[in-house]
Amino acid sequence: MIEVEKLSFSYPTGSRPALVDVSFAVRPAELCAVVGGDGAGKSTLAGVVSGTVPHLTGGDVEGSVRVNGRTLADAPLSGLVGEVGLVMQNPFNQISGARFSVREELAFGLENLGVPRDEMAERVDTVMRELGLAKVRDRSPYELSGGQQQLLAIGSVLVMRPGVMVLDEPTSQLDSAGCDLVFAALDTLKEQGITTLLIEHRMERLAREADRVLVLEHGTIVADGTPGEVLADERLEKWGVAPLRYTVAARRAAARQLWPAGKPLPVTLDAAVEGFGGTVESFDGGGPR
Amino acid sequence: MRETVHASGTSRIHRLNPVTKLTFAVAVTVCAFAMVDYRWPLLLFCVVVLPAAIAAGVVRRFLLMLAALWAPVAVAVLLVQGFFFPGAHDVIARLGPLKLSSEGVSFAVQTALHILVLMGGFFLLLLTTHASALMSALSERKVSPNVIYIVSAAVQIVPTFNRRATSILHAQQARGQTIHGLRGRMRALAPLMGPLVLSAFIDVGERAAAMETRGFGATRRPTNLTVVADSGAQRGLRAAMLLCALVSIVVNVWGVVR
Repeated sequence: MIEVEKLSFSYPTGSRPALVDVSFAVRPAELCAVVGGDGAGKSTLAGVVSGTVPHLTGGDVEGSVRVNGRTLADAPLSGLVGEVGLVMQNPFNQISGARFSVREELAFGLENLGVPRDEMAERVDTVMRELGLAKVRDRSPYELSGGQQQLLAIGSVLVMRPGVMVLDEPTSQLDSAGCDLVFAALDTLKEQGITTLLIEHRMERLAREADRVLVLEHGTIVADGTPGEVLADERLEKWGVAPLRYTVAARRAAARQLWPAGKPLPVTLDAAVEGFGGTVESFDGGGPR
Repeated sequence: MRETVHASGTSRIHRLNPVTKLTFAVAVTVCAFAMVDYRWPLLLFCVVVLPAAIAAGVVRRFLLMLAALWAPVAVAVLLVQGFFFPGAHDVIARLGPLKLSSEGVSFAVQTALHILVLMGGFFLLLLTTHASALMSALSERKVSPNVIYIVSAAVQIVPTFNRRATSILHAQQARGQTIHGLRGRMRALAPLMGPLVLSAFIDVGERAAAMETRGFGATRRPTNLTVVADSGAQRGLRAAMLLCALVSIVVNVWGVVR
């Protein structure tokens, strides 16, 4: 569980606070997405929840962040290993550079913690199986595609069995196939009951995968709700987030009474097809229902 | 692209513990440098190092590596020492104002042969040992994780930098930069170095954060996934090789003192 209360943060060289009075809680096993425009404070929030901010960056923090009941400010970063895992944008930079195969790279964190060899092998093999990395187990991490590298980065954290995972735009540098791999891995996290905070720009995928969406603007939470509530909000564009095309099309259709009255605006393709399908069918009966 | 020069194989030398091969490389190097006579390193190379490369089944790549790396060094040493050896009297050839001295040639041959044994020993180690096995073996010997990290990251950094430099060059060429001939390559160097070095600095920060969150340095007793085989016979062999190296040093010091 993640509990953030009245969190404000300023970087040492920042002219304005990166986060202002942010409060929210993510329940166990919940996948909570965070969206927002450039400079909204999303990556800073990911850093604070994962402990890298302010441990590695410096800066002033007010308020509190607790992960599974543990206050992050009191713990050294090394003490958070196994509690909370961080996956960053660039998979290349998460590869240790010190291991020569996928299997060894997955084991790197466990080796650092002194986990016994048998347990380590079991955990590594499990993660390889779950994420579909077994077929590339002996390949160099540098020989993998971007999607596979990001999968490896997720696996490297997952193998530490953290209760909470923070993913900061894990698909931003990936193509569609790589993105599919990462979202399939997110399903695995959900199945394992891992609490996940996901910073992401791919709204359509979020609409399908997330349990909840937060919107950040200038370091403040301006919306918090289900994907259907938040991603269909007409203020989304004002908050710096590009709305989904289905939602825009349905909103325009609704303005012309071409969207079924009382039906929520769609945030997934299936919902859009259902809504517009009903509209099209209604023409057979003389007009929209 | 290859990350290391390791040539996979199943020979006895391949199967030796990496520390045994590292000890071999260090021992032959110490033995070679300990003796002043140029025939001694040549004998070591021909009787010990080269047959080991043959036995490992890597002799072709071994010789190619020596040709690529040792030969230019040997020629450079020969030219510098041969023509510019301080206090040389015995001139055996002249090239315009330059004089090739026998003292210089003698010293160059000796130095080149020392380097030949050094390179031979370590090339044999690199060719017959996967880098991860070497790192695991060093880790089992309680070598500092920081040292192991630096060594293993350094092994991989050259191909990684090469890949990135190629991408940057391709991007610059796509925007109209022409890279033809020596002058073109020299001109391309400056705009290449900026993004290459800058991106490396950015990487360092992000990678440091990633390493921290993966527990790097969390314990002084890290474990290893890779099992590296060892035996009493190999431990004995290592002790014998180190003894040989020690004897060589003693003989050398004794010779100098005498």
